[in-house]
Amino acid sequence: MAADSSRPDADAGTATEAADDRLLEVENLQTVFHTERETIRAVDGISFGIAEGETLGLVGESGSGKSVTARSIMGLVDSPGELLPDSSIRFDGRELTGLSEKQYERVRGGGVAMVFQDPLSTLNPVYTVGNQIEEALSLHRGLSGMDATEKAIELLEDVGIPDAARRVSEYPHEFSGGMRQRAVIAMALACDPDLLICDEPTTALDVTIQAQILELLAELQEEHGLAILFITHDMGVIAEVCDRVAVMYAGEVVEQAPVVELFENPRHPYTRGLLRSIPSTQRGADRLETIEGEVPTPNAPATDCRFAPRCPEAFDACREVHPEPVPVAAETADEGADHSAACLLYPENETRGQAVERHTSEGETTGAGAADSGGDAR
Amino acid sequence: MSVVDDEDATLRERLTDEPGPALRVFAVVAALVAVEFGALANLVMSLPWDAVGTALPGFVQGVAATLAGVGDALAGLPTLLSRSVIDNAGYQLPSGEWEGTFMGLSPAIAWAIRVVLIYAYGFVWLLVGWWSYLVYRDNYRHANWAPVDDMVGRFRNHSWGLFGLAIIFAFVVLAVFAPALGPTTVDANIADPYLHSIEFYNEETGSVEEMYVGDANGDSQSRGQGGENVGPLSYDQYDRFHPFGTLPSGKDLFTFMAAGARVSLFIGVASLALAGGAAVVFALATAYYKGLVDLGIVITSDSIQAMPQLLVIMLASFVLSGTWLANLYNGGVVLALLFGLTGWPGLWRAVRGPALQVSEREWIDAAKSFGQRPSVTMRKHMLPYVVGYLLIYASLTLGGVIIGVAGLSFLGLGINAPTPEWGRAVSAGQPYVATPSWHISLLPGILIVIVVTGFNALGDGIRDAIDPQSDVDTGQQDQSAAAGGGA
Amino acid sequence: MSRPGPEREATGLAGLDCAPGEALLSVRDLRTYYDSGELIGGQPVKAVDGVSFDVRKGETLGIVGESGCGKTTLGRTLVRLEAATGGEVRVGDDDVTQLSGEDLQAWRRNAQVVFQDPESSLNDRMTVGEIVREPLDVHDWGTPAERRARVRSLLEKVGLQEEHYYRYPHQFSGGQRQRVGIARALALEPEFVVLDEPVSALDVSVQAQILNLLMDLQEELGLTYLFIAHDLSVVEHICDRVAVMYLGNVMELGPTEELFDDPANPYTRALLSAVPEPDPTAEIDRMTLRGTPPSPRDPPTGCPFSTRCPVKIRPDGFEAVDDETWEAIEVFRETLRARGRAERSLSERAREFLGFETRFATVDEVVDELFADRELPGSVREPVERASDLARDGDEDAALEHLRAELGSVCDHEQPTAHGVDATGRESRCHRHDDEYDEPAAVGPSVGDAE
Repeated sequence: MAADSSRPDADAGTATEAADDRLLEVENLQTVFHTERETIRAVDGISFGIAEGETLGLVGESGSGKSVTARSIMGLVDSPGELLPDSSIRFDGRELTGLSEKQYERVRGGGVAMVFQDPLSTLNPVYTVGNQIEEALSLHRGLSGMDATEKAIELLEDVGIPDAARRVSEYPHEFSGGMRQRAVIAMALACDPDLLICDEPTTALDVTIQAQILELLAELQEEHGLAILFITHDMGVIAEVCDRVAVMYAGEVVEQAPVVELFENPRHPYTRGLLRSIPSTQRGADRLETIEGEVPTPNAPATDCRFAPRCPEAFDACREVHPEPVPVAAETADEGADHSAACLLYPENETRGQAVERHTSEGETTGAGAADSGGDAR
Repeated sequence: MSVVDDEDATLRERLTDEPGPALRVFAVVAALVAVEFGALANLVMSLPWDAVGTALPGFVQGVAATLAGVGDALAGLPTLLSRSVIDNAGYQLPSGEWEGTFMGLSPAIAWAIRVVLIYAYGFVWLLVGWWSYLVYRDNYRHANWAPVDDMVGRFRNHSWGLFGLAIIFAFVVLAVFAPALGPTTVDANIADPYLHSIEFYNEETGSVEEMYVGDANGDSQSRGQGGENVGPLSYDQYDRFHPFGTLPSGKDLFTFMAAGARVSLFIGVASLALAGGAAVVFALATAYYKGLVDLGIVITSDSIQAMPQLLVIMLASFVLSGTWLANLYNGGVVLALLFGLTGWPGLWRAVRGPALQVSEREWIDAAKSFGQRPSVTMRKHMLPYVVGYLLIYASLTLGGVIIGVAGLSFLGLGINAPTPEWGRAVSAGQPYVATPSWHISLLPGILIVIVVTGFNALGDGIRDAIDPQSDVDTGQQDQSAAAGGGA
Repeated sequence: MSRPGPEREATGLAGLDCAPGEALLSVRDLRTYYDSGELIGGQPVKAVDGVSFDVRKGETLGIVGESGCGKTTLGRTLVRLEAATGGEVRVGDDDVTQLSGEDLQAWRRNAQVVFQDPESSLNDRMTVGEIVREPLDVHDWGTPAERRARVRSLLEKVGLQEEHYYRYPHQFSGGQRQRVGIARALALEPEFVVLDEPVSALDVSVQAQILNLLMDLQEELGLTYLFIAHDLSVVEHICDRVAVMYLGNVMELGPTEELFDDPANPYTRALLSAVPEPDPTAEIDRMTLRGTPPSPRDPPTGCPFSTRCPVKIRPDGFEAVDDETWEAIEVFRETLRARGRAERSLSERAREFLGFETRFATVDEVVDELFADRELPGSVREPVERASDLARDGDEDAALEHLRAELGSVCDHEQPTAHGVDATGRESRCHRHDDEYDEPAAVGPSVGDAE
């Protein structure tokens, strides 16, 4: 399971920190699901990293593969799904993809914790909330009895649940939606993780409760020095919460940039279309701009651009060459702004022909694409 | 797959437009029916007569008798796979040849040939059913794909369910063609043995003689003690073949079992029709109206379920014995009614859950919002989702009913003599279980187990076929997993 | 346009024929309560608790609010999917809540619903054509051939293709299924369509397609929409006027642009400030609401928003108390309310009765924590101590009542009336609109597009 050491954009001006220093480093992650009819490539070769204390947003619509990414990092992908051998997930310097279930259990909780979308299904309805927090505490911190209960009450207070001493012995159904999500966050924090993965934590909540939860997450991040992988489809939340953003489409990362850069200078046509179709960015417009068509289900290795059928700027080569992430000039004055987009239109300072060649050759280096059009591309 | 261009066409128009495939199917069906017309007519005519004939008042009896006469005449029409064509009753000459049997074969082989041919005929019916579904789907149905296609596909891959289907198929064929499958008939061997006679070759006198079946039975009893036993797959001294041996009374066990299968199937199906129909109607009403209707039916069903079912049935059948009701089908109708009336609460409880779940779906609200009538809403929007669950529980319950009837007959409380019933065979053979006549109890017992298991397996198969989110490996489940649960 | 279906005039719902811009529906003091479900006693759920507004012909009126505010119940009551408990909904001379028979059928033809969940609003066992045709069948519209033709034209109108007539919903995506739902709602040519969160379950890019479709259809067919949503940016885009609901009451109602530019009601202000802005450089100046919305079974006396309002009026004589202490008092009241709602198991009740300690005995700790290092003036300390005494004995209701009497202001005692707040006919329910108090906009952070 050795990671591919020749990173494709190693020479193209990368992040300020060297690759190995980042807390989480995902490289060429590929997660597939084998069904009777086909193999669905839910995550098809994505790479990103999160530094300590940083918040990375993973944004995309349904079918983009963001939830599967989170589960892959947590080791929660079961048959009929599997991670392909080339995938690499390095956490704190340690490779996670080959770990056994027991070894993974030690990483979960203390290293990486996850907050899911629906608190009702995360919390076991037949145990009290306190009981479930204490379970996590005993697994990872070895606490039990009165110590554990006290710590549980403390955690509930930390996440802003009033009257925690009484609430610790209540059942999940006695909590309201927002309270439940706070309790889930308390559980996730019980073991003092370094990385918190939040999979659409506020999608099911009202907007005022969402505001409370986002505020809470910001506070906790500062207090505990957490790194957060925040998965959502809401661009407003991304803008508020994240330091950097990765945009996913049909199992691939199509654009990665710091958050201000992404909103001011979106490069990939999908990102542009997405930002344009949000009603709040189109005040006063009569008709909303849309992206025609539907998100495809990726069931074959990518040999072309998956967005091409819906892209207003597609040209012929888009249907033959698989675009790789290439650096894109940043417009904001962010030093080391690491803005990359997987589109044949970039790098914009090269001609189309050169750009296509570059994408083709990089595709062959990582072995991700099967394109062999070589230099014949236009 | 041929595509009918004009999508506006109704089914009739489509049929007239392209009659070819449909006509082929009808031709084959007609041929099959013609070949066995007598047997099928016998089934159709005899069952109601057996069931209710004796209870009808005088003048209706006359009319009914005429109909029965017509039915008998129809039943007398030559059928292909009947005893008259493939006969297994004959006698063996000293030279070793067989006289009177089909093509001179031994009775065992003749009987086996007839059995195989009848089962083959039944299997052809199954194939025709499948074929007509395919013809309809490919030629006459508007939609290219319907939910039922997926269900059929899933069932086809379900080995346990197919196993259950095979057993049930065997059982149903046994019940439908009982008169033709046994080595002799119920009338001749069991009901009126002294009105029929057989021919046999008397070695002592060296000539062919006749004797009453009843006397022959008297000499073929299986009573366990040395010598007095006619076991399975053996001949008695009169060259009659007994596939399952004989009963202590000397009557042929296989004929008894085949006729008993009819009774069991009738009771099972009739009680389930009653219980299932009531359960569905109540479940739909409960789910649609909720509130007081639900409360009322819950109280009623709980009251009925609070009573132990078998004891109630025993009590009731005892109380009703001797009345005209109990004489129908020798107690069969009473049992069917009782099982139905005591069985509906269980079925209702089982389908109430799915019905309530369906009633919460938004399309029910949508139907209410444009003013759809409650009865139509229940039929169109709720019933299709409930029927699948009903089939599952019905198949399980059917097995339970068969065991229940057998048990009651074993105790002497169920079907009365002379109508055959499996439980009575078990009871008759009880004293001989540890003797060479073990076959009398064991064979019916094993068959009951097999049939009930078959129904359970069929229920499993149906459940997995209609519910794509079940544990069976299906594409649906993996699709949702691959989508990460929708995100 | 020629309609082969039954004529409308014969049924007498003449109120539907008003001119564009006039009130098509007049809702007055509408109340819809659900039974508590318990056989004896129990409090009803006051889903809609006295709502009044007009719906003008040809407009899109948005109803916005969070979960539990009653907007879905309101929509359902208007189309007679729920029975109103009180009040009236006037269409011309008829009261929709009292209609029956032919008139009710006429209303049902003219008021349709588009539901939220595309997975659940279409019967999977029927083809799309059958689904859209069903309303026509129920009302005996035209001949069967005419119905089929109409369904085909509807399918095309909503952006599907004619050959989809014989497909099953299973074979479509979420956005397409929602289009089928819209086609079904339009089958009978209604005047009034209730859209119950029609795009909430869809992806952003598909949302935009459906919203465009809805707007096109409204223009083409002259429909009147009641658009129920919780997503404020969508509402801002598509609605002419907006009503903001909280706990069964309309807190603010007015033209969209003015309402979003300069919201008058504190709840609207909090709601708008809570929406995350897709602009990372914007500063977040948020009015975060405390606590959770109260239960509709037991709404607060006085203003429904009083338990969470960040700009709640202080009672006279307490101006000197600092904000943090006052906040602590509000949190204390909220805690008592939560305890009052908490389920007590039988054993806990028994223990309380016998005087043993239960988990509810920690009132003192709560008080200590909230008011630990504070100097409480006597006027505050006495009610707090008395309330904690009452709460220790398990009587949260009395404690709350005491606090309300001693430390409550006009917000706790009286329901606010609807005040007109600007020239466009906007109204808002808040005591601060009375002349003697500061406007909500003057107190608290700035909110709204114009600020």
